[in-house]
Amino acid sequence: MLNPIRSEQEAFRFLLYVVVVAAVVVGIVFAVRALT
Amino acid sequence: MESASIAADLAHDDDHHHGPPTPNVSSRVEAQFLGMLLFIISEVMLFGAFFTAYFFIRVVADSGWFPIGDAELPKLVAGVNTAILVSSSFTMHWALEGARNENRNALRVGLLTTALLGLTFLTVQINEYVHIGFAPHDHAQGTIFYGLTGLHGAHVFVGLTLLTFATVRAFRGHFTAKEHRGVEVPGIYWHFVDVMWIVVYCSVYLL
Repeated sequence: MLNPIRSEQEAFRFLLYVVVVAAVVVGIVFAVRALT
Repeated sequence: MESASIAADLAHDDDHHHGPPTPNVSSRVEAQFLGMLLFIISEVMLFGAFFTAYFFIRVVADSGWFPIGDAELPKLVAGVNTAILVSSSFTMHWALEGARNENRNALRVGLLTTALLGLTFLTVQINEYVHIGFAPHDHAQGTIFYGLTGLHGAHVFVGLTLLTFATVRAFRGHFTAKEHRGVEVPGIYWHFVDVMWIVVYCSVYLL
């Protein structure tokens, strides 16, 4: 399991996941706002 | 009495031990990583308190968000600043890879570039405060904006301080492929600061 505090490598991978998840969430919110 | 004391001191010297007895140390987690773990948990709770206030204003009280009157948040400038901060995590990772592979130049250049990118982020944020056109006491939204971004900016400053120490040590020839905890722990902290900024940027500027 990913533990961002175990090593810098895992922290960096966690950051990349957060960037992707944030982009998806923002995209969904913008799409919903455009449609409603 | 005095000779007994000297004998005891000599016995101590033989053991190479000074001061109080060593505390019990966990064999599973290193003290430095455990310290950073506890620190980051406390930081998450601190940011959580500020986000609670943010969501209370926007969702519970439904008081609205920017733009308020003429006051608008500079999304584009903050977006470029976000890219600068995220890229600094890549250079930090590159520096660590340099340390792991005994590539001293990569370690030094990576750390120095990370510190410069972090400094650029902080400078742009201060410039944003100067030109944004509202103060923390103007409205609740302004208070939360300055609170969240200022709290994060303070963390960038702390990260920069840690990076400065690590950079100076790297240029003095410290750190090897096996022993580079002095870079790894600030690296974990720096990525945490980046993660928090992505959450702050998305919720405060974009959504």
